[in-house]
Amino acid sequence: MKKRKIFAALLAAAVCGAAVIPLSACVYKDDDDGHEFTVLTVKEETVKDYNTMPVFRALARETGKDVFWVYNTSTQYANNTDPVGTKGIDAIYHAGFSNLQLYNYGRRGKIVAIDKYLQYMPNFKAILEDPERPDIAEALKSPDGHIYSLPRIEEMGLKAYPNLLFINKAWVEKLIDGGNLPAEVKSISGKEDLKDGLALKRSEFKAILQQFNALDMDGDRDRTNEVPLAFVSNNWQGNESDLIASFGVPENIEHKTIVDDKVTFTIESKEWFNAVKELNDWYNKGLIRSTAFTQTQDEFLARGQDGRYGAFYWWEKETVVSKDLQGDYIMLQPLIDDATGKQYVGKSNELEVEKSECVILGTCKDKAGLLSYFDKFFEPDYSAQLNYGSIESGAFEREKVDGKLIPNDDHGKQSADDFRMKNAPYGVVYLTEKVWQTSVEMEKRAKLRLERLDVYVENSVFKGAEVKSIPNLNYTKEQLDILNKYETSLGKNITSWLVNRITSKSAPTESDWQNNLLKTNRTSIEEVKKVNQAAYDKYLEAINK
Amino acid sequence: MRKKASAAATEAGSAVLTENDLLIEQAYEALDGGAEGKSPDGIINNKQPSKWDKWKANFKRRGWILLFILPALIYILIFCYAPMYGILIAFQDYMPGDQIIGSNTIWIGWDNFHTFFSNPNFWDYFTNTFLLCFFGFIVGFPLPIIVALLLNSLRAKKVKKGLQILYYAPHFISLVVMVGMLKLIFGSDGLLDQLSVKLGGDVNGLQLFLKPEAFRPLFIFSGNWQDFGWSAIIYLAALSGVDPALHEAAKVDGASRFRRIFSVDLPAIAPTIVMLMILSIGNLMSCGYEKVLLMDPEGILGTSEILSTYVYRFGLNGSYGLGTAAGLFNSVINVALLIIANFTSKKLANQSMW
Repeated sequence: MKKRKIFAALLAAAVCGAAVIPLSACVYKDDDDGHEFTVLTVKEETVKDYNTMPVFRALARETGKDVFWVYNTSTQYANNTDPVGTKGIDAIYHAGFSNLQLYNYGRRGKIVAIDKYLQYMPNFKAILEDPERPDIAEALKSPDGHIYSLPRIEEMGLKAYPNLLFINKAWVEKLIDGGNLPAEVKSISGKEDLKDGLALKRSEFKAILQQFNALDMDGDRDRTNEVPLAFVSNNWQGNESDLIASFGVPENIEHKTIVDDKVTFTIESKEWFNAVKELNDWYNKGLIRSTAFTQTQDEFLARGQDGRYGAFYWWEKETVVSKDLQGDYIMLQPLIDDATGKQYVGKSNELEVEKSECVILGTCKDKAGLLSYFDKFFEPDYSAQLNYGSIESGAFEREKVDGKLIPNDDHGKQSADDFRMKNAPYGVVYLTEKVWQTSVEMEKRAKLRLERLDVYVENSVFKGAEVKSIPNLNYTKEQLDILNKYETSLGKNITSWLVNRITSKSAPTESDWQNNLLKTNRTSIEEVKKVNQAAYDKYLEAINK
Repeated sequence: MRKKASAAATEAGSAVLTENDLLIEQAYEALDGGAEGKSPDGIINNKQPSKWDKWKANFKRRGWILLFILPALIYILIFCYAPMYGILIAFQDYMPGDQIIGSNTIWIGWDNFHTFFSNPNFWDYFTNTFLLCFFGFIVGFPLPIIVALLLNSLRAKKVKKGLQILYYAPHFISLVVMVGMLKLIFGSDGLLDQLSVKLGGDVNGLQLFLKPEAFRPLFIFSGNWQDFGWSAIIYLAALSGVDPALHEAAKVDGASRFRRIFSVDLPAIAPTIVMLMILSIGNLMSCGYEKVLLMDPEGILGTSEILSTYVYRFGLNGSYGLGTAAGLFNSVINVALLIIANFTSKKLANQSMW
């Protein structure tokens, strides 16, 4: 009896103990002893260690600051609910905070108001006070007027247009050879027309896609494995926006743009609805496949390698199609609207000034010291190396030409993309148009894309200043709250409606559009428009001062 | 005492234990024979012991058994009750790292709830949650009972065992793999689509993952396919406690196999069914967000966005207070449902949890 009691008591105690011990077992391990500063950065395993990168060594030599880098992978970082509370760090690089987060952390003193330390930051101060660029200082401000983060500014003029249209020249040639080129395609009189910059009407393009769909283009006796027109819906690059825009509406994936200084939702225009109706037809005819709405970027790229796409929208063709098939594809001009005979391309809201690349924590002991170190990042030579890889590792030629750093595109077996992924830390840089002209030569890929863009955008009705991307706006706290309340759901509702109607068996009706998209989301649309308009007016006022 | 014990046992849904209890009780009486003031010659004291005295004596004799519930109690206190103070976040403008109760906590009263309820899509999310979980309950609750009854009346025990394993094996598939399988079978370019294309259907296949009307059936049936065998186990356990004598008696009376299911098996597991029903009604509004998020292509958000995914999205967006408020609202509904279900069953079936 006694024994049984003791045994039971011991058993119970053991079970309780087992439950409690693991709780006390997690003790934070501090491994940055002896360094002046420790910075947390978001880095994938494949990127080289920042602590050994030549560009950071050069920075350390020049500034005399001893900075130690610790890492989170992007997945770890995304799951880190309190990165600012990480023990033993002084700053976060690649922080990527939202406007609301910056303001909230700043208000609590968890991150430092950088504008208080401008006397230690000559380069950043010059950027903020640049009379030609009042927009940058305006973009960086939080609702309380402070600047809580260091930006990334890379202005190549590429991001406003994230889509180019390519068509499979080899397949079109096959159509011509087989006498299968539809008679209505008048823009192609012979093979000699098939070169970069070919302009097709939307109806002609559609007719060609229909042939791609009807015939077994790759000759493997399976006519279902070709994809007539491929893209990745709702992705920042290579999406369907330009196809919708071709109906005469400045579409981008946020369906929100600025027309004549008025914040506008594209979904409200009749052209947009017409586009959705036509896309539904394309889908049901098999010209667009359902994968366009379900695949990820990587899946899109993998599927395209062996040349199964009849046409596709993407940033460039080099990454989509394998090396030996590059010659099979040519770039088209934006599709010509049959009704008006004009070309339209919208502008994306992807900005070249990214607001929150780096924040300094309130717990940092020598804020001025660390900020003076980061200030060096804005110098052209460092910016270039941070963005593409160090000179020593071979990202640039060792000798400058006319005072300009010359990129080295030859990395042996590695592709330029792979090399950059491994060797460049990215992050806080300042590479404006001026810098490209005077201090750093653009890499070949960027130059090639700019050349292509010139052709692509040349005839666009929206090319001028009346259609603009929405810049970084400086919202008040109330405005941020309103946006937080309405914008996420609104975006999801629009995407959901769009994808759903394109992929449904029957064409969407006008009343469906009016009632189920516009009417149900009326409050959200108006609120978001109102807030953006107010902030945009303030922005205009600030930069026109 | 015996009566109480047996009543408690029935209430817990396992009539089997009654007999054991009886034996244990007897063993204790024998063991502790003279130790409790009864005179050895069996003359009972005239003074009737008070309830409190009885309880004290009982505690002294068997109190140590209570030690066994200590681990469970501590577990529940630490992991279920202690974190509950976190719901205060629903009334704050909270960021991780803030003190939940402290001098610099930013209290904002009911603002988060106000924001949540005035969301233009609030009712959509609410209805989506309700429909998804309600249909899930309608399909998912009776299924394991039927399966358990059928399995139990199988004559060949080996077949029964085999089927049982076959049915509950899918339970061990992880959710991610499960949704992966769904996408391979029903998704774009999936098995079903390729088959339908090969058989001369539309070139885009059936595209179930892009159809809002297909979301609920896919979600519910895949979930039930995975779990019906597992949930049947508890009913099978209850069924194994049915007295064979009852079956024999029924047989003698000429009851068919089918008849016996209704008149013997079903009444025997009825308490278990009621109890599990109350519990699942209490969880009615909380179907897991993980699977919805995993299944989540864009075209079907109108049907698939539910309260818990909303909580998740806003939590990640940095609006912790708003996320907590939405979660708290969901829990309040669940508690209300639980109380209603319990009350109803008490009135109608004289079965309840408390």
